Order: sequence, then structure tokens, then C-alpha cells
Amino acid sequence: MITFKLNGQTVQGEEGQYIIHVAEKYGVDIPTLCNHKALEPAGMCRICTVELFDGRRSRFVTSCNYPIWEGMEVTTDSELVREGRKLIVEMLLARCPEVPAVQKLADDYGIKEIRFKKGDDTCILCGLCTRVCEKMGAKAISLTGRGVDMKVDTPYHLITDACIGCGACASLCPTGHITLDKINTEHTNLNTQLIPSEYEMGLKGRKPIYVPYAQAVPNTPAIDRDVCVHFKTGGCQICTEFCGVDAINHDMEDEIVELEVGSIILAPGFKPFDPSQFDVYGYSKHPNVITSMEMERYLSASGPTGGHLIRPSDHQEPKKIAWFQCVGSRDLNRCDNSYCSSVCCMYAIKEATIAKEHAGENLDCAIFFMDMRTPGKEFERFYENAKEKHGVRFVRSRVHTIDPLPGGNELSLRYVTEDGKAITEEFDMIVLSIGLETPPELVDLAGRLNIELTPGNFAKTDSFNPVATSRDGIFVCGAFQGPKDIPQSVIDASAAAAAAGEMLTIARNTMTKKKDIVPETNIVGERPKIGVFVCKCGTNIAGVVDVPAVRDYAANLPYVEYVNDNLYSCSQDTQETMAQIIQQKNLNRVVVAACTPKTHEPLFQETLINAGLNKYLFEMTNIRNHDSWVHKNNPELATEKAKDLVRMAVAKVALMEPLIETELTVNQTAMVIGGGISGLTASKSLADQGYETHLIEQNSQLGGQAVNLFHTAQGDNIQQRLSELINSVEKNDNVKIHLDTKISNVDGFVGNFTSTLSSNGSTQELEHGIAVLATGAAPYTPTEYDYGKNPKILTTLELDQKLIADDPMLKKLNSAVFIQCVGSREPERQYCSRVCCTHSIENALELKKLNPDMNVYILYRDIRTYGEKEYLYRQARETGVIFIRYSLDDKPLVAAKDGNITVTVTDHVLGRPMELDVDMVALATAIIPYGDEKLANFFKVPMNEDGFFIEKHAKLGPSEFATDGTFLCGMAHYPKPIDESIAQAKAASSRAVTLLSQKTIFSSGTIAEVEPMKCAACGVCVSVCPYSAPAFNEEGRFAGKAEINPVLCKGCGLCVASCRSGAIHLKGFDTDQIFSQIFELEEAI
Amino acid sequence: MAKNEPKILSFLCNWCSYGAADLAGVSRMEYPPNIRVIRIPCTGRMSPKFILAGLRQGADAVWVSG
Amino acid sequence: MKNMLEHTGIEPGRLHFSWISSAESTKFVDVVTKITDEVKALDPANKKYVKTEPKVD
Repeated sequence: MITFKLNGQTVQGEEGQYIIHVAEKYGVDIPTLCNHKALEPAGMCRICTVELFDGRRSRFVTSCNYPIWEGMEVTTDSELVREGRKLIVEMLLARCPEVPAVQKLADDYGIKEIRFKKGDDTCILCGLCTRVCEKMGAKAISLTGRGVDMKVDTPYHLITDACIGCGACASLCPTGHITLDKINTEHTNLNTQLIPSEYEMGLKGRKPIYVPYAQAVPNTPAIDRDVCVHFKTGGCQICTEFCGVDAINHDMEDEIVELEVGSIILAPGFKPFDPSQFDVYGYSKHPNVITSMEMERYLSASGPTGGHLIRPSDHQEPKKIAWFQCVGSRDLNRCDNSYCSSVCCMYAIKEATIAKEHAGENLDCAIFFMDMRTPGKEFERFYENAKEKHGVRFVRSRVHTIDPLPGGNELSLRYVTEDGKAITEEFDMIVLSIGLETPPELVDLAGRLNIELTPGNFAKTDSFNPVATSRDGIFVCGAFQGPKDIPQSVIDASAAAAAAGEMLTIARNTMTKKKDIVPETNIVGERPKIGVFVCKCGTNIAGVVDVPAVRDYAANLPYVEYVNDNLYSCSQDTQETMAQIIQQKNLNRVVVAACTPKTHEPLFQETLINAGLNKYLFEMTNIRNHDSWVHKNNPELATEKAKDLVRMAVAKVALMEPLIETELTVNQTAMVIGGGISGLTASKSLADQGYETHLIEQNSQLGGQAVNLFHTAQGDNIQQRLSELINSVEKNDNVKIHLDTKISNVDGFVGNFTSTLSSNGSTQELEHGIAVLATGAAPYTPTEYDYGKNPKILTTLELDQKLIADDPMLKKLNSAVFIQCVGSREPERQYCSRVCCTHSIENALELKKLNPDMNVYILYRDIRTYGEKEYLYRQARETGVIFIRYSLDDKPLVAAKDGNITVTVTDHVLGRPMELDVDMVALATAIIPYGDEKLANFFKVPMNEDGFFIEKHAKLGPSEFATDGTFLCGMAHYPKPIDESIAQAKAASSRAVTLLSQKTIFSSGTIAEVEPMKCAACGVCVSVCPYSAPAFNEEGRFAGKAEINPVLCKGCGLCVASCRSGAIHLKGFDTDQIFSQIFELEEAI
Repeated sequence: MAKNEPKILSFLCNWCSYGAADLAGVSRMEYPPNIRVIRIPCTGRMSPKFILAGLRQGADAVWVSG
Repeated sequence: MKNMLEHTGIEPGRLHFSWISSAESTKFVDVVTKITDEVKALDPANKKYVKTEPKVD
């Protein structure tokens, strides 16, 4: 250790260190342009000059490369030093008057005018570039020439093979003298570019060491071997010198790990279609033709433009944007993807709506489409709103020509409208709504796994086993099963987990390990003894915030017994030390001032538990993400802020009490309501996973709506498969079937429900831990199109009955017409029933099979054969089924007279009414939910305005309710075909098993509690709680008062804020605790 | 503390704005160091009393963000 | 709430509400910056709303 004086203060450094490094450690700022931690110092810019007194005389040395020695005296900011630096900066400014970094220094040193001859150079000859080039192992550039002719150059000023195009010189150059352009024109032919960020669709660069995106799991950086210089030259490794915990190991190799598993789930996803292969859209030629994925990034607040919408060619705000649908989907001519990608219509509408929200009403958004496919839950309403409220234009046309206009910005489109008018229109930007595709490597994987694929290269499954591949034990979910959106992928994912779980039931809990538990110390009645740990996080916090000062400040706060700072509080050894200190010092409250509690609170709480403290006697305050990282140019105020935050945390933690996590036994029995396909599947899945299941059906037979159906879209015989399913459920010992049974009451909550079942006048109580609502939906009975007046006008379900019965009249028909959207997509029922297009086409094909000469018409508004159902649509057209589109305000007319039926419809191409004399009219009727309010009230679950149940989360929680312990599936959620119902039934069972597989569950400690003496029984808490946690106490001393079920409470505090009598307390965030934080503010003012 | 550095008492929802503030840090963005953050489980927890108490304690402003 | 503050003589600029999703870090920074600038434009609160004991003559 060497001791010397720095600005009069006695400081210490290691032998061999340079002055500037020791100064940095003691927070003394010395300006420099040429110094870099990872490079050998060179003393080139000379701005770091300091005054050195060696005991006899003073002289000036460059602090970046002057080693320290015992007894020296250094002054970094004396008048003489400032004068000296001022002169150096003035000379640099004379050489490079236009360089911002030098201008800023000149400003700092108060240089107003330059007394020397002005040059126009941008290089200050700091040599960072040459030194880093050498470090990279390249040595492509060096300082050449002498004296005034000195410059940075390649050998003989020629393009050189030595340059590896890594760009390190450009990234370190403090003046902007070296740029990527310069490297590409003067150093190398490699055409070096920024490494395109995959996440930002190449709209932004990224580094060779990177976190793929902000929410990535795990959120640790990775080194991209393909671009990392070290793997090319063996040089660099600068990263290892910056990493404070030695986490970087360049010698790590890929490992081959063998795992023995009982089943495999494939969730490899899809690849967005690459439109650059299409000449016609000019994607690779025109910058303003972008893909929808790129548009997503432009619209994202965290995207490359911060959510500011620009057109790429000149970064001006666009005024008109066009979306082209079905790029790489429903297209056999240009690509092989004849399926519909299912998601593009909806995302295009979403993007257009958001674009208008970002850019304002004046932005013109037009979507060019063939059929608008919005068959998902709440999608139709979104579509209508986009049209009516946001003014998004929907143009039913495929654009045939795109001409770039002179100037390189706008594009001119030519298209033909439905009524045959040719239109030319200019747009600023074109967004290609690209489809979903299985990449070739997944096709290879499928080959290796020996699983079958569909014609569209998706994993082949059947309608009754929608997540099982053709090979036993291998399951599939997400877009590899077929193009689909997020909710459907999430449903599939849970379903695949259930399917795997059914197979692995016997192996459950056979490979688990048990943890030792440290007994909890009772601290009740003790005076608070607070330990404060301030984290440096390497230099992440300590580089800005004066951590020792914060630590010392904390030591003087009330009740603080112990303070310390840690280099990395989250490291394993620090955790152990913390636990020891807590025990040795008998601390009973802990504050950690470090990073964010959102990621690290559980870790420190674990430490408390290991030290025998209740984990709620803890408060974490964020002096990294909220302080050092965001105020790096203001260390003084950042330190102030850190002190304030620590003081607030100390005040709060003093008021923290040990909290109990209520333990609750879970009844291992399941109840499934509804005996249709969904209810049957859910029951079977739960039973197969080893849980006693009660299946409740209000009718006298099982099967639900499926008993009326003929074939699935994939051609499966529904009646046969249904009876197999019913059979397997009836034979399963774990399933108890209750027919002719209704629910007349439900009490209790997650893990402990008691339901009253009524059957033929008798009642029975059933105790169960969870409930699955699979109550289904019913067909709409039409009042339109003369339904019921003529036996030849029937619904498509009635047609199915005839097909099942093989009715001979069907063969005799000469002509039949299907009318779509009967009762769906109407103003009073603004949703699409999802299954009818496919169903009608399927039936039309069936009729054509019976009698190929039959004239079959389908009158439709949009054909919505999403996914690979599109093949049926194509097949129907090829077979000669005639499709005629009608609009909502010009519906077909059906007139039945003397046994003859005439259907009049306006032909959308000719614009004229057409009369069809037909033998049969099949009405594709809507699917209507039961809207059973009583049942909804029993389980405290919500319904939407159409009467479908509302799931926990539209995207991420589609098969469960917000109220714990209740799940949903099938058409009670939304109309859906059999394969999707089965997937959701399995998903509901999978979600339920996450609860059932635990014998006991724990509530959180930070929950609300009612003080019954203060409760006025007004009921506000009961009505505001989104999770149905509060209820009126029915018996005992406090009957009539509110009581909060700790298991259901999520600790949001809504009831606490709404309680008029202040009777509700939110543990961990109680009023006095928050007030204590507020009160600590006073000292800050 | 300098006179012109107001103190803004901020109540941030754990799930929304607190997360945004974390992300701002991760992204190394910069903003003025004047806010003092109190983490709340949800903006539903907010009570007008907190706002008044903050102002009474001398905060120059109160910011509630969900 | 703002009306109430105005009634008691506190400038509405001293109370701000916003909604920011956890992914909108840019918006967070914009809002903080905007609010700080607005509050800086107001007079310092100078403890003028701090509760004081009534003076007894």
C-alpha cells in the first residue's frame, strides 16, 4: 500500500497504480480524453495534467500514466493546473474547433477565443483507436508521420486486410473522427455495419454482449460468439476487466446434457414470413415498405424511435399508411402458404388504431384485405370501433401495383375496388401484414422426432387430441400446432402441460427435495433494532452515489443498530454474512438499499428466513434503478436522494410487524359443471391426473351440443368420438357423474368450496377444492329468413342431424343455399360465432359429395376459415360451391311460396339483385351464451355484455377466473370448435391441478384485514374487491361485519382506500407505514 | 439542498410505474433527481390523505402514477 | 382532488396523476421530466403548507 497526499488529503493506493485511478477511487474528478480503463495509458491528450510536489520542487505530470509513490503530494485543481489545462484545451480547440467534446472542455475552462491558428481537424491524436485496435488483436491502424503531419492511418493509407471491421476504434473515438463510414471507405472492404438487434427487427444496433430484450428470461447478458472479437482474434477481453464479479469466461464450451424424461412438449413457435422474396411489394427495394413486425417496433414506446411514428426514408411523420393483408398467407401463387395465418387481420387493426392514437386523427390508415377475420373474443367489437370511432379505412381489394414516386418517399398504389373502379392513391408507408410460417429447421426437428406434419408444415394433431402429435408422449403447443394468437397459444400450453401431466401422474413428486427450516424468532414487543445494508453493486451504485456517506448517514437514524456496505449484496457469500450479522447483532428489522425489490426482494427475504426472522420485517429501497443509473451526471443530488430513500425505508421498517401467511388445506376434489365436450374432457383430464372429480350435468344425458354435430373440420366423426369419450368418462372410477342436477348454492372459497346439488327435488352437499365452469352455449333460434315457416328452411345444426341420419331427401336436392352470420355480427350481438363459416363449408362439401350436380351457394359477409381451415374454403371453391358476399345493410331475402323458396341477394361483383330458386336454405345461426347470472354470483365470477364469462386475463389467463380456485373452458368462454374446446378443457384442468397438487396453500402476508370494531358494515369493500375477498361475516360476535378472506386477498389495497371508517388495514402497506415514509420527507425539504 | 430543487413525492404502483422506473434505470435513461418514491401495491391503495400529508410535510408536489 | 386543492389555495400544478405501463420507460422519463419542470416553475413550497401551531398572543 502506498500512502500519498491528494489535494491535501491522505490517500492510499496499490503499488503500480496511476494517479488518475487512485483519484477516481476517492471521488476526485480529473478530466481526460485519452484514458480508458482497459487500455495501457499513453498520456496523449495531456488534459489530465496535475501538479506533483516531490518534496523539493513542483512539476506537471500526466496523471493517467504517472505511477504513485510513497510520500508524493498531488494537486489536481490548483490555479496553475487549471491554467496549464486551459492552454492545452485551447490548443486542442485550435486544432479541432468543431469537435463537441473539445468545445465542452473549452466551455468548462472558460475559453472564449482561440489565440492560435485555427485548423479544421477532427482528430486530437489521443491514440485510443490505435491502442484499442492493438488490443483487439488487429493492429490495422497506427499513428503515422511525425510532428504536425502525425495522423491515424492504415499502412500506406491503403485498405488493409489487417482490419477486421470490428468498429472498436469508432466506438472509442471521443471526437467522432472515426466513423463506420470511414472504416468502410478507408480501412477495409468488409462493409462493417452495426450488429442488427434481432429484437428491434434490425432497426437498431446492438452490442456483441447483450440482453436480447428488456423482459428476457434469464435477464443476464450473453456474448454473441459470431461477432465477438475475442473469438476471431483472441484479443480484446475488455469485458473481463470491467466485470466486477469475474462472471465472464471466454473458455466456456457448449455442453451436451442428457436428460431422461417421460414426455416432451414442443413449443418452438414460428418465423414471421420474409417478404423480401416478393418483388411485387418492393420490400427489399423501398425503405418505406416495412413489415408488420417492424411496425410493432416503431409503435412501441421502448422501440427504436421511442414510439414516435416515422417513415424510414426521411424520418418524417407519415400522413398516410396502408396495410396489405395476407402477405405470405392464403397465397399459393407466390408462396406455398395457402393457410390463413389467423392473427394478421387483428394485429393490422390494432396497429392502425395505435398509429392513429400516436399520430393523431389526421393520420390516414387504410387496410387492404380480402376477408376481414376477427373471430376472437371481443375482436369484432374492436374491428367495429376501429371503423366507426377511429376512422380506420377498410378496403376490400388486393393492390396489384406499387410505384415508388420520384423523391424516394411516397409510393403510389393502384388497385381495383369491389365495384370495378380503378383507383390510384399515394401513401407514405406500406406495412406488409406478414404471416406465420414454420422455419425449415423445425421441419428438420419434426423429422428427427419422427412426428407428422400438416400440408402447411405444422405439427399434425387430431380434433379430439389437439395437443398430441402423431408420436406418443410428444405434445405440441403454440404456433407450431397451427397459426394462432396469444390466448389460443396460452390455452394450448396449459393443455399440453395437462396432457403430459396425465401421463406422468404416477411419477409426480418422486424427484423433489425438502428444505431445512430455521425456526422463527419471536420479536413481538422488542424495540426495533434495524440493520441497514447499502449495496455498491460493483460500481453500478458506488460509481454515482457516495455509498459510504449513505451508510454513515443511516447509522445515525433512529433505531438503527448496524450499518454496512456490500460490494454485491446479492452474492451468495454476502447473503450468508448478512444472515450471520442478523443473528449476532440480534437485529429484528432489515433495510437493504440496493436494486429493485421486484427482482431481489424474495432473495433478501430468504436471507431473513435463514436468519430466523419473519420475512416481512424487511424493506428494500431502490438506489440503483431509481437513482444511480438515472442520475449519473448528478452524483451529489443522487446521494441526497439515496439518503432520503434510506431514511424513508428505515422509518417504514420500524413499523413493520411479523406477518403470518395463512395456511389452508386444499380439498383434493374437483367439481366440473357441464357435461358437454369441454366438461367431459376436463373431468377426464382431472381424473386421469388422480383427482376425484364430480361432473354436474343439468340434462339427463352427457354430450352437450356435440350430440347435434356431424363432422369436425378435419373430418372426424363426432358421434363416434363423443361416445368413446363419454364411455371413458363413465368407466373412470375417479369421476362421479351427476345427471339431472343443478347447483342451488355455493359456499366457501379456493380449496374449500361446499356446493349444494339439487336433483329431482332432493339435495346433496358436495365439498370440493376447485370448480371448472364448462356450461357451454346454445344455438340461436332465428326469427329472420322465414325460419320455422317451411321445413326446407332449417339451421345448420338441423342439417347436421339430417347428415347424421343420412336423410335420403338430401340426395334429391338440386340446389341449396347457406346463409352465414344469422344472429352473429349484428349490432345487438357484436361478436362472430367463430365456427359457422367452417361448419357451412364443411356441410356444403358434404352435400356436393352426396350429389355433385347440386348447386350450392354460400351467402357470406367475410369467410373466416382461419388457420388451416382455409384449405376447406379453397376445396369448396374448386368443387364448385358458389360464394356470394352480402353486406349487413343489404341482407338476402328469403321468400317461401307454395313449397318453392326464392332467395334474393345482391351480387357483390355485378351490384345487381340475383334470384336463386333453391330446395333448401341452411341458416348458420349464432352461438348464444346462457348468461347464467345465478351461477356467476355463486362463484363471484364476471360476465361480459354478451353473457360470456370473463376470464382472468384475455391473453395470459384465458382458462381461469380472477377468483382463485375457479376455472373455465369451452363455449361458456366464447364460441369455439371442438378441438379448441378440448384444448381449453385440458388447460382448465392443468390450471386446476397447480392448486390441487399442493396439499396446502399459503396466502401472502401482505393482505388486508378488517378491524371489526370499526367496521360500519357499509359493504363498499365487498363491492369494490376484484377478487371477491371481502364478505359479510354471517355468524359469531361480529356477524354482519365485513371479513376478508386472506387466501383470496391479493393485497391491492383497493378496499383499504375505500373503507370510510378506516377499519381495513393493509399489512405491509398500512396507513401508518406509508405515513411514516411521507413524514420522513419533511427533513428533505 | 439547493433552493431550486423541489421535492416531488411520488406514489408508484408496484406493477406499472414502479416497473417503468426500473426499466428506465436498466435502459440508463436520465431524469431529474427530484422525485422521492413510495412503492404502493396498486394505485387503488392511494388515499387523498396521503396527498395532503405529503403537501403538508412540505413536498413541492405529489405525483401518483399507476 | 385537484379542485379541492385549488379551494384551499394550493396550485393544481402540485398534484399530478399519470398512467404508465411497466414497459413504458420512455414515458416514465418524459413524465418525470415534465412534472419536475412544471414544479420548478412554481414558487418553492417553502413549507408554506406545513402545519403550524396557531399563534397565541
